[in-house]
Amino acid sequence: MTASTYVNDDRQNHLFQVNREVFTSQEILEKEKQEIFSKAWIYVGHESEIPNKGDFQTRDVAGRPVIFNRDRHGEVRVMLNSCLHRGASLCRHSSGNAKIFTCFYHGWAYRNSGELVNVPGNEDYKAEPAKVYEGLKGPAKVESYRGLYFVNFDEDAESLEDYLGEAKYFIDLVADQSPEGIAILEGTHKYSIKANWKLLVENSVDGYHAKSVHHTYFEMMMDLGATPPMLGEEIVNGVAPSGMGTEFPNGHATLMYPANGLPLATESVKETLAGMRRTAEERFGESYATAMFGLSRNSVFFPSFIVIDLSFGLTLRTMYPISPSETIVTGWQIIPKGVDEEFIKYRVDNALTFWGPAGLATPDDVEALEQAQKAFSTQAEIGWSDISKGMGKQMPAANDELQMRAWWREWNKRMTGEALPSEGKSFVPFQKQTTDA
Amino acid sequence: MAITAPTATVTTRTEVEDFLFQEAEMLDTWRLEEWLELFTLDCTYEIPATDRPDLDPGLSWSLIHDGRTMLEQRVIRLKKPEAHAEFPHSQTSRIVGNVRILAQSGDEVLVTANFNINRSKAGKFDTYVGRYEYTLVPTNGTFQIRQKKAILAHDKLDPQGKISFII
Ligand code: FES
Ligand SMILES: [Fe+2]
Repeated sequence: MTASTYVNDDRQNHLFQVNREVFTSQEILEKEKQEIFSKAWIYVGHESEIPNKGDFQTRDVAGRPVIFNRDRHGEVRVMLNSCLHRGASLCRHSSGNAKIFTCFYHGWAYRNSGELVNVPGNEDYKAEPAKVYEGLKGPAKVESYRGLYFVNFDEDAESLEDYLGEAKYFIDLVADQSPEGIAILEGTHKYSIKANWKLLVENSVDGYHAKSVHHTYFEMMMDLGATPPMLGEEIVNGVAPSGMGTEFPNGHATLMYPANGLPLATESVKETLAGMRRTAEERFGESYATAMFGLSRNSVFFPSFIVIDLSFGLTLRTMYPISPSETIVTGWQIIPKGVDEEFIKYRVDNALTFWGPAGLATPDDVEALEQAQKAFSTQAEIGWSDISKGMGKQMPAANDELQMRAWWREWNKRMTGEALPSEGKSFVPFQKQTTDA
Repeated sequence: MAITAPTATVTTRTEVEDFLFQEAEMLDTWRLEEWLELFTLDCTYEIPATDRPDLDPGLSWSLIHDGRTMLEQRVIRLKKPEAHAEFPHSQTSRIVGNVRILAQSGDEVLVTANFNINRSKAGKFDTYVGRYEYTLVPTNGTFQIRQKKAILAHDKLDPQGKISFII
């Protein structure tokens, strides 16, 4: 494969196209596993999911089963959920608390800090397993930022903070929402879709489709007296109603727009929100607090960690390929710590109106992606998809496609080695004053 | 809920079954406005998260937690051709069984039942299975639904992907 096989980035004509083969080819998927999922930083979980020593969560990250836990010393670990003996899954609970993980196949037992501590029939080994094997294997690197844990399977990877770079700002805007921090709410959305994983990444930062795909959602909002996103009149922190798209190094990108109405808010919820905002103003100044609560944003952290930070809900999701045409999606909800039950209910109710496999919007997104996937059987005739909207514009809006192009350029670089220059629309962050004691 | 001694208006399982079977038929035939009228004004329709079926759907990242307002909106939406995930409408065939009355109080009957819903759409065939919990209010010889909770017996929605019709 030569460069530009996958992505046609034609700066002269402001044309950006993606070869539809990337959504259907098994060969490309295998290469993605090598070049992307084994080398980029992959989100695993949040510290609030394992608050106590011994707490664990098991999950698949980028196709690898892992145990995400807090060991007996209180240290957060990520260990591959596969026995060193002959491979069986060590832990088959989705979550819990354990001092020891005992493999059910032949009974090898490991401490929650990874050391192999018991081998039935140990006396029959001349090469004693506990001496041969150091302990459970982990990814090459585990690092965290503001309580969010990521792994990297590449020894040579740059640090997580360098990788996130300026885009870290959009994690700060989430983590700073309460002085007590944030927590993942229990319960997970876990579902598969019959479409390539990259189609859902694109869709997660696609402001263009909102009006057409989510027509019924917007009508619902208006019925309930709220203004749909990007249809307001207010300019917030200099961001116009039509919003703005932003690109960052390493393929991260964000779209941002003034926060829309609050369909199901009660007076007490509005008070809680106003209180959160006042606290943020005191801690960080007006501009940052306004960014936090007056703007909404969807961010993608390459390759497939999505943060959807809206005034009425804070959703995280990841998406990993099962096959070129199948993707497993996991979604979580974040709640600022220290809020009351009425506020939690409000966030759940509002976020659920849109998000998740039973929301009033997500199923329509999935339908669009599945219909596209199906129609890619025409790729001999229609070889390329178009992602040019807003290219060459001074200030791309949220419903332009800069975010996706930025992501695709990183994908292309990792897959082909061809580095395409960014469009140079980097973001000037709203100033954060740290008056915090 | 306090369980009191049966009063003169004792509900029988047959009455509950007749009601649930009629409800199932309304859903299979997409008579959603009629279905909505089965609910009380203080109703909830909810589906817990597949991995935490034990938690309150209002306080966890559940799949559905609709009060009357959102239930109405769900129905309004589903009847529009722009509800893309349900255009054209899925064909469903549902079996409701193992119906049992768990308790009866002054104005409420607690019911549990199993469901097995087969759904086909655009060449894809999916099955949804699980258990219902209903709080029914006997009214004029039939019932109103105060609470309907569908607890899925799936650990994830794979391969179903979405719950775009009413379970
Ligand atoms: S595979 Fe785990 S003890 Fe044998
Ligand atoms: Fe969408």
